[in-house]
Amino acid sequence: MKILKHSCYILLIGLASSLANAEISVIVSNNNPNTAIDQATVGKIFLGKIKSFPDGSQAVPIDQNDGAAARNTFNSTILGKSSSQLKSYWSRLIFTGKGTPPKQSGNDAAVKQLVANNPNIIGYVDSSVVDDTVKVVHKF
Amino acid sequence: MRTRIHWAPSLLALAIASPAMASDLNINGFLSVGASMLDDNKASIAGADNQGGFKNDTVLGLQVQKQVNNSTSATGQLVSRGSDDYSTEAAWAFVTYAANDDLDLRMGRLRIPFFQYSDFLEVGYAFNWIRPPSEVYRVPFSSLDGVDLTQRFSSGSIDGSVQIYYGRFQGDFNTGTDVYASDYRNFAGLALTTNMGNFGTRLSYHQAEIIMDTTDTTTALGAAVGAAGAIGLVPDGVDVGTATGNTALAGLTGVGDASAAEDFNFTGQTSQFVEAALTYDDGTYSAVMEWTALEHESSLFLDDQAWLIGVAARIGDFTPHLTYTTEKDSFDSGKEGEIQKQLPLESEQSSIIVGLRYDYDSGTALKLEIQNNDEKTALGADGDSATLYSVAVDVVF
Repeated sequence: MKILKHSCYILLIGLASSLANAEISVIVSNNNPNTAIDQATVGKIFLGKIKSFPDGSQAVPIDQNDGAAARNTFNSTILGKSSSQLKSYWSRLIFTGKGTPPKQSGNDAAVKQLVANNPNIIGYVDSSVVDDTVKVVHKF
Repeated sequence: MRTRIHWAPSLLALAIASPAMASDLNINGFLSVGASMLDDNKASIAGADNQGGFKNDTVLGLQVQKQVNNSTSATGQLVSRGSDDYSTEAAWAFVTYAANDDLDLRMGRLRIPFFQYSDFLEVGYAFNWIRPPSEVYRVPFSSLDGVDLTQRFSSGSIDGSVQIYYGRFQGDFNTGTDVYASDYRNFAGLALTTNMGNFGTRLSYHQAEIIMDTTDTTTALGAAVGAAGAIGLVPDGVDVGTATGNTALAGLTGVGDASAAEDFNFTGQTSQFVEAALTYDDGTYSAVMEWTALEHESSLFLDDQAWLIGVAARIGDFTPHLTYTTEKDSFDSGKEGEIQKQLPLESEQSSIIVGLRYDYDSGTALKLEIQNNDEKTALGADGDSATLYSVAVDVVF
């Protein structure tokens, strides 16, 4: 019985760690006056439905490259869409001249640097790479 | 030297920070390659026949968009269609001026936003079907030259847009069997789309004044104009063929109302297009319901209603889907209606479409589809039913 209980715990821990994705942080420049942005607003910015931050300044979202771990987590958690659903969503907007998707801007390090240098840019990175050059406005 | 080193990084920062991504050139495209085969040749669906073919569902589109400055961009989209012998047309060519974050003004060649899928009718990747059902998507032209204005809104959990446009379409009205030179003047319309959570709605209204050349009596409409005139001239109930000595018109009965027969032309009569659609998508299950109606002041086109209802389920990379769609003409009231009933104009049909979409890579979808089309009436005569088998690969890049 005890052994069974023990192995159950191991199984649970194993399951939990394989399910838990690395934590993702949504980041802006330290020069961006916004301090916290809720998930719905982050989603609308990345889907091109709103084009400014809560304080009214222009918001330019940037994506990580196709296939990046952080991008898949961001798409499924914040936007609630698979990559092919998003591709379909954006093709409706691109080919009707109604919008362009966020630019693919590299990995965690590249996104962090672009965000740090421009107060209008908003991106997301694995929380482990966050440092004082950028400001976290949302975490999940 | 020292100052130069000092300046360089801040110049770089300035260059990156200045109007976010202003000088971008975006090149995108879509390509659909399809093959289809009809089980017999009596009916006609999507231009297919019973010998199979690769041409009708094959479409290539290339789009270039240039951001001129922070508020102005230029967009051009060239589309080449297999069904049109790969001749290339500018489906879109416009300049956009973003008056503010939520208000866009566009001028140039624009797609007419008739129905839910009209704006991106040829971008196969953007929907589950190989082609939107032709019962509903029955207007045989897609672009106009003019202006439009789009106001986006977003408040709480609701977002959407209002689009109004005005313009003119001058070009071929191609029914598949005949081509008419046409001029749709004072073309104007309004489309309202809203999204709330998993639900979306679209309501739209469009109207235009039609001028069309139907003088060629070898075309279906040209022949109908001539026959309508004959029916109008001959007294009530008398056989038109006997009265006029024109054996081709034998069996048609006169209504003795020349003024009713005069309504059978296109000299600026107004046509109206109305649409209401409801969509649902929770990520796994999706559904679309769309109702449309065309109402023509000219009696040469029959008024009609068409609608579709479709459901789909996403199971991993596979999306099986099922659609029912139907279209039915109706006659005008009075003498015009009596004449319409004698001309080969009326159609009534429905289709059941069963398909499977497989997203085998982001940006590439493989589709299989079976469509059973039941023509109750085709051009006033009893129709046939037929089954169309299609496969297609849709790519966006």
